[in-house]
Amino acid sequence: MNFIFDWQNVTITEFGVGRDDADPPFSVLPVDPEVQTALRQMCAATWSAMQKLTTNPPHYEPSEKYASHEYVYLPFGDDLAERMRQLHNAANLPTDSSALEQASKIFCYFVRLTDGQGQRLTALRRAAQFKGILKSHLIRFVTDSLKLIEDKVFKLDVDFDLLVDSQNVHILRPDAFGFASQLQQAILSAVPKNVAAIRHDLNFVEFSGIQEYASRHTRAARYLASIRSQHETKNVDKAALKKLCKSNNVEIKEANGKIHVEEDSVMDFLEVLDRRRYQLELVKGSPERFKAASRSRLRN
Amino acid sequence: MVLSSLSPLFIFWATRGIKLIPNCYFLAFCAFMVLVPNGFLCLRIGTARKLQDRRDLVIGDAEDSRDHLLVYLFAMLLPLYTMELDTWRALLTVLEALGFVAFLFWHLNLHYMNVMFAAFGYRVFTVHPPTDENPLSGRTSQVLITHRVSLSPGQHLVAYRLSDTVYFEVNP
Repeated sequence: MNFIFDWQNVTITEFGVGRDDADPPFSVLPVDPEVQTALRQMCAATWSAMQKLTTNPPHYEPSEKYASHEYVYLPFGDDLAERMRQLHNAANLPTDSSALEQASKIFCYFVRLTDGQGQRLTALRRAAQFKGILKSHLIRFVTDSLKLIEDKVFKLDVDFDLLVDSQNVHILRPDAFGFASQLQQAILSAVPKNVAAIRHDLNFVEFSGIQEYASRHTRAARYLASIRSQHETKNVDKAALKKLCKSNNVEIKEANGKIHVEEDSVMDFLEVLDRRRYQLELVKGSPERFKAASRSRLRN
Repeated sequence: MVLSSLSPLFIFWATRGIKLIPNCYFLAFCAFMVLVPNGFLCLRIGTARKLQDRRDLVIGDAEDSRDHLLVYLFAMLLPLYTMELDTWRALLTVLEALGFVAFLFWHLNLHYMNVMFAAFGYRVFTVHPPTDENPLSGRTSQVLITHRVSLSPGQHLVAYRLSDTVYFEVNP
């Protein structure tokens, strides 16, 4: 996967922070050329770390359990990328030179680079180490003795959690992406839209109970988002679905030609649709059922 | 920047002089009020360029602020200049009025009405942000000092930041 940005010709480097208590939550603040250089190096280090992991990253799925470092991507137009898209596209982000005064409220820091062709790169990092250093006692050499540093000191990290270009959100730390994107809230809000999309393909399933359940349970909402993002609900065979549910002990009922799912079985049913339930029978007569916390499709 | 935009008034006062204060002291005071704020402004522009404190400004709508110069001339410069400064009380009144004007300039973000910029061929635009649906886009208007004669909606510009609301474009 390529990154659409001219790394050699950066004309603007905007640094900013995200704060819990601010409206709007993201603002930029001036930084000197050395910090700008360090931020550009962090961007390059992030891309390099991603390339070392894989050059063909899988699509991010909200229901998947990821390792702390895993290169995945989301298309720029994806609903789950909305927050990052807003930050990337925001015009004239407000400048707030005093944004670092309440460091405890900072939840992330970011940089937006613009190249000579006007293409933009946005990079974001969750503020753990950045504000963590504030709690430490730092010392430095003054003449021949060590002295405490009394100024506020912020420490930049080695790389960012994610990079955004005009085509994709490239994610190095999926957990941080979820946190900074307020994914939980976005996923819960997207439940009606996701259900409507899936219902269109699976018109033999009654989704009203599932929608009601998912709007209260994040995990179920994540499954719905994942099922929709895979685009593999088309042409699902009703008989095959019923058979898979039966073999996995997922309780469903059929009335008026539609499959109804009881509230207790909603999660199980969604796991079936999300291809997380499977059965093996390596020992004849002893079928074993499994639930996959993480899975990736094998091609040939 | 507020004080630098008031510098023409001090030039006029220095030329006219007042009876209450000896010329050498008054001239020194006026020179200080002209040179220091403008020197600081030049320093600020130089610092912004040195620090590469650049921003990508997106134009939503732009107003040419040249009309403001007339307001500035007739509402501030001429009334203050024509006031008689024969008594200490009159001088104190003028200084109070000047302080109040300076406060208003600062408070209403009108400190960009600098005749120095106009003398060097710069135009001053009030730039309103684009009215997009993005909740993170800036909502406050910015002031752009530039050699351009017009700005169009949607245009992207690279400008140096002089303050949180005032930007300066060097080479359009």
